[in-house]
Amino acid sequence: MKEGDLITGIVLLVLSGYVIQEAWQMPPSATFAPGSGFLPFWLGVILAVFATILFVSAWHRQATEKDSKPLFPGKQPLLGIALVLVGLAGYILLIEVFGYLVDTFLFIVFLMKVVEHEKWQLTLMVAVSATAALFITFQFLLQIKLPSNMFGF
Amino acid sequence: MDLFNNLILGFHVAASWENILFCFIGVLIGTLIGVLPGIGPTTGIAILIPVTYGMSATTAIITMAGVYYGAMYGGSTTSILINLPGESASVMTMLDGYQMARKGRAGPALGMAALASFIAGTFAIIMLTFIAPPLASYAISFGPPEYFALTFMGLTLVSTLGGDKPLKAYISAILGLLVACVGIDAISGVARFTFQSVNLLDGVGFIGMAIGLFAVSEILVNIEEPIKQVFSDAKLGFRSLFPNLRDWKDSFGALWRGSLLGFFIGTLPGSGATLCSFIAYAVEKRVSKHPEKFGTGAIEGVAAPEGANNAAAGGAMVPLLTLGIPSGGATAVMLGALMIHGLRPGPLLFSTNPQFVWGLIASMYIGNVFLVILNMPLIGIWVKFLKIPYKVLIPLILTISATGIYATDNNVFDMWIMFFFGLVGYVMRKLDFPAPPMVLALVIGRLVEMSLRQSLTISHGSISIFFTRPISGVLTVIALISLFSPLLRVAWRKLVMSKLKV
Repeated sequence: MKEGDLITGIVLLVLSGYVIQEAWQMPPSATFAPGSGFLPFWLGVILAVFATILFVSAWHRQATEKDSKPLFPGKQPLLGIALVLVGLAGYILLIEVFGYLVDTFLFIVFLMKVVEHEKWQLTLMVAVSATAALFITFQFLLQIKLPSNMFGF
Repeated sequence: MDLFNNLILGFHVAASWENILFCFIGVLIGTLIGVLPGIGPTTGIAILIPVTYGMSATTAIITMAGVYYGAMYGGSTTSILINLPGESASVMTMLDGYQMARKGRAGPALGMAALASFIAGTFAIIMLTFIAPPLASYAISFGPPEYFALTFMGLTLVSTLGGDKPLKAYISAILGLLVACVGIDAISGVARFTFQSVNLLDGVGFIGMAIGLFAVSEILVNIEEPIKQVFSDAKLGFRSLFPNLRDWKDSFGALWRGSLLGFFIGTLPGSGATLCSFIAYAVEKRVSKHPEKFGTGAIEGVAAPEGANNAAAGGAMVPLLTLGIPSGGATAVMLGALMIHGLRPGPLLFSTNPQFVWGLIASMYIGNVFLVILNMPLIGIWVKFLKIPYKVLIPLILTISATGIYATDNNVFDMWIMFFFGLVGYVMRKLDFPAPPMVLALVIGRLVEMSLRQSLTISHGSISIFFTRPISGVLTVIALISLFSPLLRVAWRKLVMSKLKV
């Protein structure tokens, strides 16, 4: 956690620098009232102060038992998380290409088969029933037009 | 008899077939979410926002509140039967509940959990009915300085009371306020932090952010540390669920102490149901004549935390409805949902939308009756749900979330917001940054900025305006005390230590 706090402190300092710079360039108010940059500017300043406190206190802190534990998990779970994120990104990217039905079906199959290594039987059962249930709920019950592909479904 | 008339109005609203149906659906989903480990009420409520988007505000919030207090009931089932908290507020129920189950007394433990929940939950709603209206009418003459002081106080209280890392909570709140700044400034029309994206002109969507921070990041954490699933083979006949006379006698004190503690601590912004059940259990152990029995299957060890977490769910409605300040993640998301439905939570809500407020309160009386039925005679069904593998839940939660987000605006960009905040939420969990302050900050961010700038315009730029007006003065002072309380605590400790040395 100590290492994490040090890195977070630096990242937040950089972020606050960006915010302050952006806020500084925002046009001032025409009257004497605070303008658009007022709140972001002060938020940036406060963030910089907090980030410094975080960094300095982490720097001075004795390493505890918790610090020796690695912050992020080993390769195997990290791969699982990465796969879920890649799958989700793919799902979002392709939803207007494949259409809702195909895309959702493929996404569930991906999650259950590639990420979780489930049996085909359970995978297909969940994928078909969940896709159908969601489609019926949103498209028909809630009357929302879900994305369709070039073939119209 | 204003109160009486208002309650009648409330029941009139809550008893429409639509509201009864959705109250039932809400508590049903709540119980399910409570029973299933790895998905909490905050996630459940976040996922429900898009689904309830098309409903009236009253029906939508009735459903979400049902999920919130329903989860408090459901959580105990998992704690008692498989020694795993169904959601965080039922962690304490595990200690004695599971021991009772091991001794063959799963029935009375489950029964007492459900009945304690009902008694304390109903008690809390009665208290809410009496306490909320005068509080709201006191706070009715609010101008911009009062609103700023109030939102400022809400942010600092949620940050300091919510956890043991106030600095990280403050940073989380600041980041949330910055996210709220994204988009066109409502006063001057200047585009801020939009990165030239048309999609960001309207600001960052609350729904995508809430679902990302809670639902998606929860899934990522659970993939990292898979939930171990254990099944229970407890035989549960309806008759076996009723605690005997002795159980009632043992639990009587725990029930009323748990209810009172849960309600009053629950009304403090930032406290949350989990904290209340911890305190109630600790107090019960302290006052008990046989503290050694706690942890070995004492029924009062089930009654106290279960009563407290349900009373807290009712107590949390007090600051939410009267001041617009949530007490934790779940109520912060509900606050966001209220705003989406065009309601401005705060002292005026009681006078401008009485049918909403009283309809919600009345629905909670009805929902608690549903819940005791769902959790006593139908307990066997929920036990079966424990057999659903979490692996199946992951694709379901993700697809429901993504579909719901798309559905609110027919916009794929909002799904990317969910994706982004899912990742941010995961990193925040790993680094111990609490998410509720960030969500609250986004929800009330615009109100904070508007009221701050309007106040400073009124006062020609002097911040004394927040101190000289009586109500805003009091609120600002409370906020400042809360803001600096971590420092005060450190200073106090040093003082005591130095005295001890001398």
